[in-house]
Amino acid sequence: MKTLVLSLLVGLFAFATDAQAADKLKVVATIPDLADIVREVGGERVDVTALTKGRENLHLVTARPSHLVALSKADVFVQVGLSLEVAFVPGLMETARNPRIQPGAPGFVNVSEGWEALDKPANVSRQAGDVHPQGNPHMNLDPRAGRFMAERVRDGLIRVDAGSKELYAKRFADYEKRLDEAEARWSEQRKAWSGKKVVVYHQEYGYLCRACGIDIVGSIEAKPGIPPTPNHLAELIAKMKETGCTTVLTAPWSNDDTVARVAEAVGGKAVELPNQCGGIAGTDTWIAMMDLVHRRLGEALSPAKGP
Amino acid sequence: MNSLSFRACVALSFPSAVFAQGAAFQTPGMPTMGGNLGQATRFSNEFNPAFGIAIDSIADYLDEDGGVDGWNATIRSGELVANAWVDPKAWAYIVLTSEGEAPDLEEAAVHYVGLGSNTTIRAGRFFVDFGKQMQAHIHDLRTLERPAVLRTYLGEEVKGDGVELDHWWASGDETAIRASFGVFRSLFPEEEDAAVAREVAERTSLGDFNFTARVTGFTDVGESGVFQLGASARMIPDFEAVDTGGGGSVAGLDDTVLGLDATYGWSDDTGTRKATFGGEFLVATGDRVDSTLAAFDETTSGFYVFGDYAWTKNDSAGVQFSTCELPEAGTPDLAEVELYYTHWFSEYHRLRFAATQTDVDAGSDATRFAVQYTVFLGSHQHGLNW
Repeated sequence: MKTLVLSLLVGLFAFATDAQAADKLKVVATIPDLADIVREVGGERVDVTALTKGRENLHLVTARPSHLVALSKADVFVQVGLSLEVAFVPGLMETARNPRIQPGAPGFVNVSEGWEALDKPANVSRQAGDVHPQGNPHMNLDPRAGRFMAERVRDGLIRVDAGSKELYAKRFADYEKRLDEAEARWSEQRKAWSGKKVVVYHQEYGYLCRACGIDIVGSIEAKPGIPPTPNHLAELIAKMKETGCTTVLTAPWSNDDTVARVAEAVGGKAVELPNQCGGIAGTDTWIAMMDLVHRRLGEALSPAKGP
Repeated sequence: MNSLSFRACVALSFPSAVFAQGAAFQTPGMPTMGGNLGQATRFSNEFNPAFGIAIDSIADYLDEDGGVDGWNATIRSGELVANAWVDPKAWAYIVLTSEGEAPDLEEAAVHYVGLGSNTTIRAGRFFVDFGKQMQAHIHDLRTLERPAVLRTYLGEEVKGDGVELDHWWASGDETAIRASFGVFRSLFPEEEDAAVAREVAERTSLGDFNFTARVTGFTDVGESGVFQLGASARMIPDFEAVDTGGGGSVAGLDDTVLGLDATYGWSDDTGTRKATFGGEFLVATGDRVDSTLAAFDETTSGFYVFGDYAWTKNDSAGVQFSTCELPEAGTPDLAEVELYYTHWFSEYHRLRFAATQTDVDAGSDATRFAVQYTVFLGSHQHGLNW
């Protein structure tokens, strides 16, 4: 009899746990940055999955079966947009065929909606390289974008789960306070960087540099998405020497021999920055990632070391 | 009737047809062309399909025992593709190709996705869902040519006029399973130069239609890998062999090909370096006909395996080996190995260097060196199924 009661209790507990899990909103975010923001705003109400892990070149992500399954079960889908995830999201969305998260459905959240994009091409042509028709998509690396992304996440969660509106609004307000504190911290740090010069590998850090007042002298890629040629590198190195630029910003995926050679040629250094959360140790949250970005930029661009 | 009512009556009598596709001025009794259902006019392009063009060119040197050796350069094919949604639940596409003077309607099909869940109905003319390679057009392959065993048992490119039902479902959190079943009028490839052509009757019972079936599972393997296993079948229950020279024929023949494929893919944590290994084992069984129209029952088998490594997003190299028993008297063996290096300048053009060695028992062996240049103008997507 005891065994029977125990089994029933275990069964009831398992059922309750399952029901609780089933009650949560299933949210799929394309990158860990968005997954973190969803957790911040959604708290215990959401069960979040990120499709990437943090070190990927976001233009080269390969869809996996688990991505397809996650999207097919999702209540909410959160993407950066601006074609950042064009390599893997459209195919997944078409195949997963989940009406709750298709563009236009309440569960589709595009955090770049309304964002003023940089580098929007006047003419979309591959003559300009792998340009994005809607402009530079790496808005998740703008230190001022945290609130913008979180607002859209909050609105999306409320659209799908209006019953928890107060919870989402309260958690957003809490997160906003921490963002305010972090932004004040970052603003103080970057005051000394105005006018500093850097070279980037890919145009990922355009928003970051704009926010910090840093000039991007050139990029190692000949054009967006186009690998460098020897001539291009020679011209770039000459330009760096001419302008006194000694810092090369690179993401984990692009931190290769070419980056090291360019930095060495100008007697400078390569600075590896995350291009999404999780790519570098200590960047599990978006605020922590931005803290690390500012710390590394500070080390590289401090007056004693910079041009 | 006041003038307002009169104008309303006129508007109702001639709904937006005069502004829509169809005749410039449409009156009752003229053929309706859907114009009053939408906004497209004769000169609008807002609802035009996405067009793409592919041009596949090859320059090669061939050294063939007993054959014609030497250099050649040719545009292997030109392809025009158009894709468009035709309603909220259906999209359609067309693929026209030309290998010479006349264009050929290679594919023209509609995908209907309105059944709910993950079911698709595809109807029209399209490439068969068999293994991992048969849905792909030849210029989209990882290699210069399709594996010899597929060319031999199924054909270089196999399309059919018919309908296919396709469904996928999740199994756990990391596995997706897909199954399809297709019914077609004929699934023999074009055999223009064959001395004995295989033909399916133009009109036949439903039971004598040709069939395809495939089931495949696709799962995550650790943090960096994926694995896919699949089984495919192509069945032709009744066909006739016709002597294209003499005119004789033999009927009541059948042909079936079964395949088992496995593919493993690995990617580094940045998504840049990728390795893919795979293979497919095929069994072909059924009636064969020799040049004298003598029919005999035979079962043959073969396989292909490949390995491909991409060290940048633009560069990859690999090797593919294929061997099979030829479906003819004595079942001689055919073996082919291809080595290749591929460089993508951008998503719109690609250069490939390939070397191929072909050995045939009691036949002519061949060595081929080729440079393939393929350019894609505009969008290039065929909506292949995994």
